[in-house]
Parts: sequence; C-alpha cells; structure tokens
Amino acid sequence: MTTHPSRAVIARYADRDADLDEVTMWSLELHLEECADCRGVLAGSTADDTRALLDRIATGLDAGIAAGPAPAPVSAAGRRRMVWSLVPWLVMTVAVLACAVALQALWPSLPSLVSLLAPVAPLPGVAIAWSRRHDPAWELIAGAPAAGLAMLLRRTAGVLAVVVPALALASSRTGSSLAVALLPCLAFTAATIALGGFVGVRRAAIGLGAVWVLAVALPAMVTARLPVVLQPASSAAWALIALVLAGLVFVRADDFRRLTSHH
Amino acid sequence: MKRNLSAADEEELVRRTAAGDRRAFDELYRRTSPWLLTRLRRRCADDDVVADVMQETYLAVWRAAGSFAGAATSGSAAGWLWTIAAHRLVDAFRRRARHNQVPAVQMSEAVAPAAEDEVLAGRVGQELEQALLELPREAREVLRAMVLDGFSVRETSLLLGVPESTVKSRARRARVALREALS
Repeated sequence: MTTHPSRAVIARYADRDADLDEVTMWSLELHLEECADCRGVLAGSTADDTRALLDRIATGLDAGIAAGPAPAPVSAAGRRRMVWSLVPWLVMTVAVLACAVALQALWPSLPSLVSLLAPVAPLPGVAIAWSRRHDPAWELIAGAPAAGLAMLLRRTAGVLAVVVPALALASSRTGSSLAVALLPCLAFTAATIALGGFVGVRRAAIGLGAVWVLAVALPAMVTARLPVVLQPASSAAWALIALVLAGLVFVRADDFRRLTSHH
Repeated sequence: MKRNLSAADEEELVRRTAAGDRRAFDELYRRTSPWLLTRLRRRCADDDVVADVMQETYLAVWRAAGSFAGAATSGSAAGWLWTIAAHRLVDAFRRRARHNQVPAVQMSEAVAPAAEDEVLAGRVGQELEQALLELPREAREVLRAMVLDGFSVRETSLLLGVPESTVKSRARRARVALREALS
C-alpha cells in the first residue's frame, strides 16, 4: 500500500449521492481502515450537512458521557471486583450444602437432600457471574462483542470449580451416588447457559431453579422418596442431556454476543 | 500526558481515553468520526439511525476503551471502532426490522471501476476483479457484509433482510466463483 487513493475518489466516497463502483469502494474502505492520512483527507472532504450531523452527534455524546460512568478500569481490576462479588454467593452455596449434609445426618429417613440440591447448586453463582448489575465489566464486554461466550464460560468454570468439589464432598459424606449429584449439576449449568442465550442468563437460572424445586424437590420432600430422576439408573440420561445442551451452547454461540442487552 | 495530542496515533488516543483523558477522546472523535459516519452512511440511508449508531459507538468507546488497551497490541483502533459500530448497526436494523422499515443503501449497479479510479492503490487483482464483476449482485452484497465488514451469517441476514440459509448459499456461490478466479 504505497500509493494512496486520489482525492477525487475519496471526495466521491464522502458524497453519499455519488455513485462509486464496487471494486473501488472495496479497496478504498480497506485502505481507509488502515491509513490515518487518508481518513484525514476524507474528513477534509465532508460536506456541510455531514459536519452538522457530526456536531449533533457530539452534543448527544457530551450528554451521554456526563450522565454515564467514567471509562471502566482496565480489565484486571474489573475482574478482581467480579470475583469478589461472587464470593458471598459461593459461600452461601457451600453453606447450604453443609446444612443438607447435617440434616441428612440428623434425619436419615429423608430423601437425599444433597442430590435434590445438586442441580440448582451452581445456578446462583452462574446467574451472578453474568449479571449486568453485578458486573463492572459489562461495558468492556459491550466493546468486545465476540468475547461474550468465552468470558461467560470462564466464569462458569470458576463457579463449577467451587461447587463441584463441594458437591462431591457432600455426597460422599451422605453416601449418595456421586454421578447423580454431579451430572444433574452439570446438565443444569449447561441448560442455564443454553437458555440464557434466549432469555438472559439470570432469568434462565431463576426459571430452571423454580421448575426443579416445584416439580421435583418439593414433591420428593412431601412423599419422602427419592424421585426416579435422581436414581443412579438415570445418570446416563443426565450425562446425555449435559452433552447435548453443551453442544447447543456452542451452536448458538452467536446469541451471547448481545448478552448484555438482556442481562 | 497532555503533550503531543496531535502527534499521538489513534491507538495511543484510545489508551489515553481508557485512563479517563477526555481531550484524547475528543481528538479521537475529531479524527475518526467523519470516516465512520461516511462508512455507516454508505450502508444505511436513514441519518437518524446512523446518528444513533454513532452515538452509541462512541459512548461504548469512551466507557470500554480499557478493553482495547487491555487487548494488547493486536489490531488497529480504526478496525476496533468499526467492529463496535458494525454491531451497533446490526442492533439498529434488528430493532427496525420489527417495524418493517429497513433503510439499507442499495449497492451501486456499476461494478467495474471508472478509468479515473484505476490509480487506486492496493487494487484487487485483475482476475478477482473480473470474478467480482461476474457475481450476481446478491452474492456481492453478502460478500461485502461478510468479508469487508466482518459480519456473521446471522448479522448479514438481518442486515440484508434475507433468511440465513440464503446468506449461506450466496456466500457459497461467491466463494466458489472467487476460488475459481484464483486458481
């Protein structure tokens, strides 16, 4: 790229009514993206109405900047704060599991509370990990559209890194099957993310949690029998569901580009 | 920090914006906004929509400059700006699509450059140019959105108002034609 496009071509590009052929337009736009000098030439060849429009945008921008937050801190600090806002939720999750273990020890006749809690245990953490209200980094994500899914997955992995060992420990203390504790947990996490692409992660977590509690956990407490979906025999089905949903997340990865718009 | 604002390149301006330097941001706006506005106007005929997209884009730049600065050295500030603006434009089209009024700019009928434009640098090779020329207009539209503007299939389908499957088949046709031109 040693030669620059002629001023006449740039002026025609700046004039919206002027027709520019396809090939010229393509190479011109590619060039302008890389060449600050030619962008300067373009700025010099704009018409009055363009400048008026730019002034109007600048005025609106002033108002927006005055109303909104200052530039978000560079991501490391933002991430640290994010991690701290997760800590209370993770502590709560672990505490609830510990209570379940204690209750189990006191009343062994109850259906396994740990198994009943396992699917919903990671949901609060996952929901908080991607909530605009709790996330000082959401503007950063808005500025980097492709980062949505990768970032959500990293945070989810962080949540699981705490919840899964806690669950494993809890289920080994109560003697319930490890597979029916961990597989539903993973399946629900995947389901939350997959559904989150459509309705927002937080709403997905609340919805799935409510469905589980109402449809499975409460009836199990009332009848005092472990529901069939949590019998060891159904672990293969849970594994399959988790895999399918994880696959779906990757297929629909695009949805997460705009995740911030429906927190 | 105040010195050499006019000597700083755009990447430097973004980094200073990330530190909360409003003057660097204003300088960035002054330098890049005519280009970005022109490019958006070549894709959307409604000035109100373009103005909204511009405003949202630069607001995101102001607030998220740190994510560019944090992303180390890869990529130009202009390319980053365009990525943000392009996604905001698709958002605007998505909102508009519900009201059935999508004011996209039609592509020009002329494909080959006029003689006086031949001096352009970085010209696409002759064979490629020929191949582009022979592509149906619909396929060229898809190619422009996906190759030049970096849109995904879904975004392209929103922008052009055609189903995703149509975008895919047009892209396939364009790819085959361009591959043949290159071989």
